[in-house]
Amino acid sequence: MNLTATGSPLSMNAVPGAIGEVGSNGQPAQGDTVAAMQLLDDPLEWSAFSRQLPSDQARWESNVLIEGMHCAACALTVEDALKSVPGVISADVSSGSQRARVVWQADQVQPSRWMQAVLQSGYRAVPANDSFARERRKVESRQALWRLMVAGLCMMQVMMYAYPAYVAEPGDLSAEMERLLRWASWVLSLPVILFSCGGFFSNAWRDVAHRRISMDLPVALGMLITFAVSTAGTFDPTGIFGREVYFDSLTMFVFFLLTGRWFELRLRDRTAGALETLMNRLPDGVERQKVTGEFELVAVRRLQLNDVVRILPGQTFPADGVVLSGQTSVDESLLTGESRPISRACGDEIIAGSHNLSSAVLVSIHRLGDDTRFAQIVRLMESAATSRPQLARLADQIARPFLLAVLIAAALACFYWWASDPQHALMVAVAVLVVTCPCALSLATPAAMLSAAGALARRGVLVRRLDAFEALAAVDTLIFDKTGTLTSDTLALGSVSCRSGIDSVQALAVAAAVAAYSLHPASRTLARAFALTGAHQPWQATDVTEHAGQGLRATLKPLSDAAPTLLVRLGSAKHCGLADEASNALRVFLADDSGWLATFELQEDIRPDALETVCQLKALGVSVWLLSGDTIPAAQRVAERVEIEAFEGLCSPADKLLRVREMQGRGHKVAMVGDGLNDGPVLAGANVSFAFGPAVPLAQAKADFIVPGQTLTNVVWAVKLARSTLKVVRQNLWWAAGYNAVAVPFAVLGWMPAWLAGIGMACSSLLVVANAARLARDNPMDRKM
Amino acid sequence: MEILYLLVPLSVVLVFFIIGGVWWAIHSGQFDDIEKEGERILNE
Repeated sequence: MNLTATGSPLSMNAVPGAIGEVGSNGQPAQGDTVAAMQLLDDPLEWSAFSRQLPSDQARWESNVLIEGMHCAACALTVEDALKSVPGVISADVSSGSQRARVVWQADQVQPSRWMQAVLQSGYRAVPANDSFARERRKVESRQALWRLMVAGLCMMQVMMYAYPAYVAEPGDLSAEMERLLRWASWVLSLPVILFSCGGFFSNAWRDVAHRRISMDLPVALGMLITFAVSTAGTFDPTGIFGREVYFDSLTMFVFFLLTGRWFELRLRDRTAGALETLMNRLPDGVERQKVTGEFELVAVRRLQLNDVVRILPGQTFPADGVVLSGQTSVDESLLTGESRPISRACGDEIIAGSHNLSSAVLVSIHRLGDDTRFAQIVRLMESAATSRPQLARLADQIARPFLLAVLIAAALACFYWWASDPQHALMVAVAVLVVTCPCALSLATPAAMLSAAGALARRGVLVRRLDAFEALAAVDTLIFDKTGTLTSDTLALGSVSCRSGIDSVQALAVAAAVAAYSLHPASRTLARAFALTGAHQPWQATDVTEHAGQGLRATLKPLSDAAPTLLVRLGSAKHCGLADEASNALRVFLADDSGWLATFELQEDIRPDALETVCQLKALGVSVWLLSGDTIPAAQRVAERVEIEAFEGLCSPADKLLRVREMQGRGHKVAMVGDGLNDGPVLAGANVSFAFGPAVPLAQAKADFIVPGQTLTNVVWAVKLARSTLKVVRQNLWWAAGYNAVAVPFAVLGWMPAWLAGIGMACSSLLVVANAARLARDNPMDRKM
Repeated sequence: MEILYLLVPLSVVLVFFIIGGVWWAIHSGQFDDIEKEGERILNE
């Protein structure tokens, strides 16, 4: 049984009057669209795609999907349109993820107002994160495939009709037969030009109507010219355009362009879309228990606190809650970075966005929507996905003048060749128009960075801004700003020395009996260490008193009555009345009436992967520092065990910042790893920063990378990935620039047939996206850098 | 050779029929999720 299959009718109900019905011709009906947008002015609907900014209650931040966007130039247009609406504070549009983040003032503007502004500029805004966006995406991908198929089938057949003309010796082909074949080619080119090219034409027309140029304009011009020339050749072989036909070239390059777009779409769904799938992993509907005990399917947005829901294996938990009955294992890798399945039984906490793996459970809902940890993660990833890296902005600015230059070059080439042969002149212009590919240029950076961000997110590392990849790739110094990042919060029991006559387990039993009454980390370590031995506890402590900063004092009564009571002290040497010997280690003493009983040596519990992390970082050529606020011996102990040579203890946050500045002054690029809690200024001062640890506050952490969870090697992994990302970005930019620099002059000189131009353009943007997709697939852990 | 005058137009018609078939296949959702059918055997 698969209940998720019932999701789609339900999801349509969940969005009342979803924005704009799609007419039978696949085009949105304008009137309905506006009416449906006004439905979104109901503040109750806002929370589906927006959130209130904590800084200002009247400001809302919305996430929308922009439809009809193909290039970076489009992103600028939509951004301008949004920003021109009074009341819109800021707008951030990303062409890579096709998303926009809009911050608006609720008392000055309604969502329908700025959505209409987007509509007027020729695009459509659809609230993101709801099922309607997914429905639209399905329609879009069906149409893309359908256009590709039409072009492919027609191309194959047109090739067949063109073949005889290529191989026939003069006189082999009768004039009637040749005309018949041309007619047949023309008929089969019609669906291609009318239907498959529809997307190019409508985009180009929209841009012309708004007096701007985009990447579709040259291509559309090229198609029109080819079709016009060939049509003239078919029906008026004696006219000025000559008798040649190019139906085979036309259908072929349309097919190649559409193939390129199709693969690009799929790759983008898979890589940049990896982010999106993570963000959209909450289910549409969920089975809620009614008062009568039956289950009904309701939309997740209709859930309320304390509702009881049933989650089947394979489903995703829609909200935070507590297991009421049943036992299962869950996958929380996105939220905690812990990749192993975790077992959850009755009474255990469940977090939204984790997957139920093994069996059905009933869950009582405790936190919903924006309050969940999942929502915080999604918000983080969305702001990263819509941020446009510096390198990409540069490429965007180049793209527009470049397009203009291409149009002029095509016109000049046409003008130059016209005198000798008008038909050849037009085909040269077509080649120039089709071959240029500014898409590759503007896709180069965001495609790679989004794909890397998606790969990181799957391992539980979140990126706050894409620019951070550039900074991280250049890092040559990495500072752990706390011993706490290298050690876990707990201590571990090291060596135990005891008075002769007792063994260490007996001594530990005594210590643990007292320690059980204290929350001090050292006490808890002793209690835990004893529990781990599995021995029977023979003592019962009474009259426990704790002297803060010194130790515990208690009377121990034997449970078996066989032994006399003991008055014991547990704590520092002074507390126990003993002479302290100088030592680097952290030690706890145990004494009874007759003096010293045992000494427990405690160690910071170094994370199991800390040493590996440091070694790998050094292998990458990164020098590793430890700047700790702890005492110098404590810092030294940790540094020695993980083989960090450069360490400093007793550093105040101001000292750390000073050290970072000093290193930067010497030309180093510094990365800082902290806990993201109270080290804000230091993290901000570094070139790039990591907030690390299971307790990282997602919403407040100011770091560029956030690593929730316990896996320290994720930091190394991020460094490696950032380096390969930048490598890919550089390759992409070089390729895009080089391709255009070579291809355009070739086309202008008339050395490039139109079909080759089509292949060239499709391949160049495909290559850029495919190169970026490598980042999502490759595991840089295994890669030699 | 005269038969070609019939076959060429016929092939054009045939292509339109095939395109119609593809239209039906795509719009009845057969390509929406091409991994799903393969994975279904694991779910049921």
